[in-house]
Amino acid sequence: MIIFEQVTKRYPGGTVAVDDLSLEVPDGKIMILVGPSGCGKTTTLRMVNRLVEPTAGRILLDGRDVAQAQPAALRRGIGYVIQQSGLFPHRTVEDNIATVPLLNGWRRARARARARELMELVGLDAALAGRYPQQLSGGQQQRVGVARALAADPPVLLMDEPFSAVDPIVRSSLQDELIRLQAGLRKTVVMVTHDVEEAIKVGDLVAVYRPGGHLAQVDTPERLLAFPADDYVESFIGFDRGIRRLSFFPARGLELDLEAVLGEQTTVAEAQQAANRAGQPWILVIDSERKPLGWAATAQLELLPEEGALSGVPLTGYGHTFRPDADSLRAALDATVLSRTGRAIGVDEQGRVLGVTSFDRLRTAIHAADEAAPEEAAADGRPAPAEMQA
Amino acid sequence: MVWSWIPANLGLIGQLTRQNAYIGIVSAVAGLVIAVPLGIASARWRWLYPPVLSAADVIYALPSLALFVVLIAYTGLSDTTVIIPLTLFSLVVILPNVVDGLRSVPGDVRQAATAMGFGPLRRLAQVELPLAVPVIIAGMRVATVSSISLVSVGQLIGIGGLGYLFTDGLDRDFPTEIYVGLILIIVLALACDLLLVLARRLLTPWQRDGQSGGDAAARLASPAVQAEPPPRAGQAPLHRSAP
Repeated sequence: MIIFEQVTKRYPGGTVAVDDLSLEVPDGKIMILVGPSGCGKTTTLRMVNRLVEPTAGRILLDGRDVAQAQPAALRRGIGYVIQQSGLFPHRTVEDNIATVPLLNGWRRARARARARELMELVGLDAALAGRYPQQLSGGQQQRVGVARALAADPPVLLMDEPFSAVDPIVRSSLQDELIRLQAGLRKTVVMVTHDVEEAIKVGDLVAVYRPGGHLAQVDTPERLLAFPADDYVESFIGFDRGIRRLSFFPARGLELDLEAVLGEQTTVAEAQQAANRAGQPWILVIDSERKPLGWAATAQLELLPEEGALSGVPLTGYGHTFRPDADSLRAALDATVLSRTGRAIGVDEQGRVLGVTSFDRLRTAIHAADEAAPEEAAADGRPAPAEMQA
Repeated sequence: MVWSWIPANLGLIGQLTRQNAYIGIVSAVAGLVIAVPLGIASARWRWLYPPVLSAADVIYALPSLALFVVLIAYTGLSDTTVIIPLTLFSLVVILPNVVDGLRSVPGDVRQAATAMGFGPLRRLAQVELPLAVPVIIAGMRVATVSSISLVSVGQLIGIGGLGYLFTDGLDRDFPTEIYVGLILIIVLALACDLLLVLARRLLTPWQRDGQSGGDAAARLASPAVQAEPPPRAGQAPLHRSAP
């Protein structure tokens, strides 16, 4: 647990980077500090391992004031990852990762063995062990940076915009990797970013900074999207927070229709009947394994011979599908928006059709989820919105 | 060229070459030994660097002959009398490179080292100095080459290594001797330079461009690519003229 108690950092020029900040980072959680440039989020981070000393207030790490600790020893117990990875250019990948174990007096062989373990953990090919950092891609360097920070198995990890220097695709995979790692490691993580999307994706808790080193809101990502504390937070989160919030609602509750889903052997006459009964302008045609083939327009069926099978009917492509058991309402909405028929297909793990959903169904599901959300958040025992610090 | 002069005087030539190499190399190494701590101090305490640099420039401006004359009173007609001025000149050449080299260590690397829990001394020894090596060696190369060629100036007081062949050749109107001295000085300087290039390659394995360590042999075949120090702004020593 990291506790900031009324921490202020005032630089000699008079600039106040952090102003009377009080914040708690619970054990095993990822706390994201997010805000515009110069809002004091990086200063906050650096005060934890005393790269910056606060002007006033205390920072407690597991109940102990960090100001009382010997800086080098304190830092060896705190993992640190920075933007450009900050790797040592003159050390190989494995020696970079082994840095803190070596500082702690481990023998080289043991430290290197530990480095190999970590390379595997963060998904680096063992063949890279003898390379130098500049021989790696940006994404690989950042993985080495994370492995180095984890080498001595510190309970606390500080990450200063760790993924901002890599391209969006690599960034996204590194974020996924961090979430995966954290599920097993349960470190107490403080991470700085200016990317709200990243904060919402990766964070268990998000602290939104206002310019001038004040906190605007500290909350779970779900609650941040649902209940921004004020106009500043709302505009900082972005205009499409409603849609992004759907990421937190599972598509499980979405109702799926099966009445207009027919096998390819069905005759046109039967299909017409079924469509009229259901009042559906589109019929989803599936094969014998229940895999989707495409959409048939009900209106077009009238122009075709009644005895013909649906397999002979020209079909409209079905775009991408969603998985009700694994995806969120956002994915379902996306699939619906992108579908040419305004209908999205829910499939199981094997890609077999479970049913079809539409905008109407989605609207119902979103409202239901929305109504349930605040109570659910409270019932789950998630932290209530923290008090605002002025 | 009177070729027969060379085999007839091999003993003398060998002795002068050794003296030249000895005085030149000792001066450059002594210059390095002083420049490193002075450079570390100058890089750490920024206010120290301008006065140190000015003092170094004053030393550089001193004519060697004047220094010899002053020093003879203390060290007599010994190698030391030549080594001291050459050491000072080497120091002046190497010092800015030590400071530049230390300052060229990227800020994020320095910060990462601190955040990993390196103390200041360990950080200096294990991170900053190793990263400054290429720039320091670039200065060392200039200092060594100029030091070896400047040894001949010591001939003014009779301790000039291969410089003896210049004055003697002039006195006797015997060009062969002068050519031999000239060529040997150049060969000596190039040999030392080559050794420093090799030293740099050994000390900075991370500076190779290849994707793996396996093609080191291929790179050794084209040393010209690697031999040049990295082009750096403000590398004043390269542009200084000999005193």
